[in-house]
Amino acid sequence: MLIDAHAHLGASLFGHNLTTNQLLASMDENDIQLAILSPLKPLDYHFGPENDRIAAAVKAHPDRFHGLVRVDPWQGAAALAELRRGIDELGLIGLYLHPFEEQFAANDEIAFPLLQFLEERQRPLMLAGGYPTFSHPSQIADLARQFPNLPIIATHGGQINISGMLLADALRTMRANPNVIMETSGIYREDFIEDTIAELGPERVIWGSNTPYMDQGFETTRVRMGHLDQKVKAQIGHDNSRRIFGLASPDASH
Amino acid sequence: MIIDSHTHVDESPILGWSDPPEAIIGLMDEAEVSRAVIMTYRDAPGPEEQILEYVANAVQKYPDRLIAYARMNPRYSDDAVELFDRAIRDYKMRGLKLHPVSYVMHPASEPTLDLIRHAATLGVPTLFHCGDEEFSMPLQIAEAAALVPEAKIILGHMGGYFHVKDAIRVAKRHPNLILETSAMPYPSLIKEAVDTLGVERVLFASDGPGCDPSIEVEKVRRAGLTPEQEERIYAGNIEELLGL
Repeated sequence: MLIDAHAHLGASLFGHNLTTNQLLASMDENDIQLAILSPLKPLDYHFGPENDRIAAAVKAHPDRFHGLVRVDPWQGAAALAELRRGIDELGLIGLYLHPFEEQFAANDEIAFPLLQFLEERQRPLMLAGGYPTFSHPSQIADLARQFPNLPIIATHGGQINISGMLLADALRTMRANPNVIMETSGIYREDFIEDTIAELGPERVIWGSNTPYMDQGFETTRVRMGHLDQKVKAQIGHDNSRRIFGLASPDASH
Repeated sequence: MIIDSHTHVDESPILGWSDPPEAIIGLMDEAEVSRAVIMTYRDAPGPEEQILEYVANAVQKYPDRLIAYARMNPRYSDDAVELFDRAIRDYKMRGLKLHPVSYVMHPASEPTLDLIRHAATLGVPTLFHCGDEEFSMPLQIAEAAALVPEAKIILGHMGGYFHVKDAIRVAKRHPNLILETSAMPYPSLIKEAVDTLGVERVLFASDGPGCDPSIEVEKVRRAGLTPEQEERIYAGNIEELLGL
């Protein structure tokens, strides 16, 4: 049993798409009980209907999905209003920001009103991490330092660099900021997961797939085949996500 | 049978790295990988001594399991070519590894081409680190492939996270380019490379021990290839390339 902390639903401007039924089939095939959904950036750039789509999927399958709001910080007051609507009216449980696709630096003040709102509501942020120029681990660290009470989930371990040139920065970010949590999709490399857990403990690592950008089935191997003991696999596979997103414990039927 | 075309052994206290040959051997056993190509993280020549000797000693310790490439720094120019020549002739290494992000030089720079030409003369392939960073992107390495068409050039990581499509594009243009599967996270693009280029142009590798060979083997299994195609990618192609 796994919780996928990082799954997308909808049709993306960038050519990826996934329907509810496709996602549920993949989850069943890969023994994934629950997915935290976030919107893809749609062809018309409007996140409002996409947030509605996520909320509708959660409502239709409350035992399989939870959802995050996605907004574009460049929309200013409208972005804050949409975040408020998503949390207070749609029942979504956090915010998803993608600095690379929305073209803002992760530590840019433009997003601060959104993050202040999340702090007030005690809701986490998931940040597409490690993208060149927009969400370098040092930018994530600079953001995390200024919002120490905000849980910030950095996807891809906060580093996307197949030379390993960002591993040191990502680890420094995790060390200096206890509010940063790393998600493992596409991560370079397995020993970065192992070394981070060995140094900082298993509480701040969560499993996610980044489907449909990445392969949900293959991504499960990073937990299931990892050199980690069973207790740690349970923590990064589901327990940590439940704690961070404030989800109820599974009932006895699961 | 599985042969891993790209793994590492090295120990450098100053860099805080320690991957003795036992690290990769243990992971190979778990993944049922029979042999692996090893190389250092450091370039030779370099500020530290005994770099190529480290690889040679590892092969001497596990001659049935490990095959060595010499990882070189073209900035040492003729000295690098001479040392590389010794690595192939005296230490019986089987290929050249280049990591331009490490030594900061364009893949098609003259000193780099000298090394690649020499590798071709000696009948051994050149494995480039090929990802998303400066001096290592597929289009940049393709310039070297065009200038030394007689060289077999392997694109390690087949373009990394953002440049896999470029790796497939340039391999289509240059028949001397070969793609290698390590560390990139997209099983479907391995299938696309095989369908576009032909199965003989793709090699399995893990980039272990940092990346887990068991997981990297599983990634190729999930690409949706035929058993015959898998056999070529896991072993047949590299056996042919290195004359194993």
